[in-house]
Amino acid sequence: MKMSDRVQSANITPAHAAAAVLAQANARSGVHSARGLLPVLPAVIFLLLFFVAPLVQNGTHSIWLPSPEGGRFSVEYYAKLFSDSYYVTVIGQTILLSVIVTAICAVLGYPVAYFMVRHAGRWNGLIIFLLVAPLLTSIIMRTFGWSVILGRNGVLNSALLGLGLIERPLRLLQGPSSVVIGLVHVLVPFMVISIAAVLKGVDQRLEEAAELLGAGRLRTFREVTLPLSLDGVATGSIVVFMLANGSFLTMLLLGGGSVVTLPLLIYQQFLLVQNLGFAAAMGNVLLALAVFSLFLQLRLIRRQGVQR
Amino acid sequence: MRVHVLRRMERGVPRVLLLGYVLVFFVFLLAPIFFVVLVSLSDAAFVTFPVTDFSLRWYYRLLEYTPLLASLWFSLKLAAASAILAAVIGVPAALALARSTSRAADVVSTFLLAPLSIPMILLGVALLYNLSAIGLGLSFASLLIAHAVVSIPYVVRTVVAVYRSIGRDYEESAAILGASNRQIFTYITLPLIGSGIFSGMLFAILISLDNLSLSLFFGSAQTNTLPVAMLSYLQNQFDPAIAAIGTVQMAIAFVVLLVIERTVGLEYMSSPS
Repeated sequence: MKMSDRVQSANITPAHAAAAVLAQANARSGVHSARGLLPVLPAVIFLLLFFVAPLVQNGTHSIWLPSPEGGRFSVEYYAKLFSDSYYVTVIGQTILLSVIVTAICAVLGYPVAYFMVRHAGRWNGLIIFLLVAPLLTSIIMRTFGWSVILGRNGVLNSALLGLGLIERPLRLLQGPSSVVIGLVHVLVPFMVISIAAVLKGVDQRLEEAAELLGAGRLRTFREVTLPLSLDGVATGSIVVFMLANGSFLTMLLLGGGSVVTLPLLIYQQFLLVQNLGFAAAMGNVLLALAVFSLFLQLRLIRRQGVQR
Repeated sequence: MRVHVLRRMERGVPRVLLLGYVLVFFVFLLAPIFFVVLVSLSDAAFVTFPVTDFSLRWYYRLLEYTPLLASLWFSLKLAAASAILAAVIGVPAALALARSTSRAADVVSTFLLAPLSIPMILLGVALLYNLSAIGLGLSFASLLIAHAVVSIPYVVRTVVAVYRSIGRDYEESAAILGASNRQIFTYITLPLIGSGIFSGMLFAILISLDNLSLSLFFGSAQTNTLPVAMLSYLQNQFDPAIAAIGTVQMAIAFVVLLVIERTVGLEYMSSPS
């Protein structure tokens, strides 16, 4: 260490001198780092006004009961949300559905990510394109696509009828399973991309070492590759969980009322009842779920930072 | 020798299985899109299978039934305007953040990306009442603000990534050669990050075009975005017109995607956070 320092300082070149000057300049600007961050002000102010303020205002709406005399503070909406068995079921369904969808996405997405990183080679570009392409088509179009496939006169039913496998069309739509299919379809690319990003960083020499030491393919995967890529699964799961928690279109178009989640209820409250305070309270429960997920994500990033 | 062959089989069989699985996965991923395009070309009066007669009648129907095309046009204007607003506000911030290593910069970065982590439907409800309170209500301006809130993270993220990937070398060389800060920015920095700004804006446009949850709350006869118009059409009719407008939107998105691929590549989009 000391030796190399001495070697370096022995042959000072103009480039080194310039680097030293720049390093000093950077150090100086570091002192004025507050001034260096001045350009962020417009963005920060814009988001304070139109992102933070609305959310805070939404929070006050949820604990304020308006009345002709001016209104009063109350936690009535939250009490209703957490005591009325209907709303408790809805909150439970929201979380359960997101957990199921996240788990299915992880199981379905992992092999694809593995293939992408380890075997795709020159096809990698094509795979990324095929993964990203659906994200760019309208989510309404994709959901409509599933009703075209699963509908009464849809692709699947016509095929099964044509093959003589069924006599009457099956009822595939408007149930929890079609909602799960639709959500998994929309969200699984995020999982694949998250897992692939971490898998790419797993040192392949570790796998080779395990195999050289006599572990079979499966054991190498189970004991080396999978544990090392779990961070990607976790990141992907958080992303998918949060997105699933916030979606309502799939439930609206494919669920037929069989699956009622918080966002769907907010949508209905807004359209039909216009009950602002209650919608605000439900929104805040969603927000709490999102913040919890973000907290997990931050912890994960911090842990990764410590490891590296 | 035998062990060797067995070893190779052990490697070969899972690989074929994996390849087969990946093919099935992409069939699953692309099937709904494929069938929507197929339905859009059908001649039937309603969605039915198998499609036997093909025609462009549903695309002509789009021309007659103007609300869908009008909403597409409205959405494109909105997306472009919000991307420009996001770039004007977001690019200076991204440039400052990319070169700063201070703790404050970390906090600001997290803050600027935060709108992506909030359920859109909550942001929509919250913004509707906030903007109505200051007199904007159901207007283009309201939608512009709402969409810009979500566009800023995309612009910031892409520009920060591109600017960091370039490194300081070019700017430092210019500084050593005596260029002023202004000259460095105009002749070195801006041309280098131009593609990043451009693709960040294009991402923002694509997200905006498909943002139902935000626009939903600001919908009115004058402020109907494409997803809102599509949803209300879909709730009343189940005919191939919706497939046709979806296909048109997809064509637009693909052109944008190709442009991004040609300018900076897709890697910047595929980073998860």
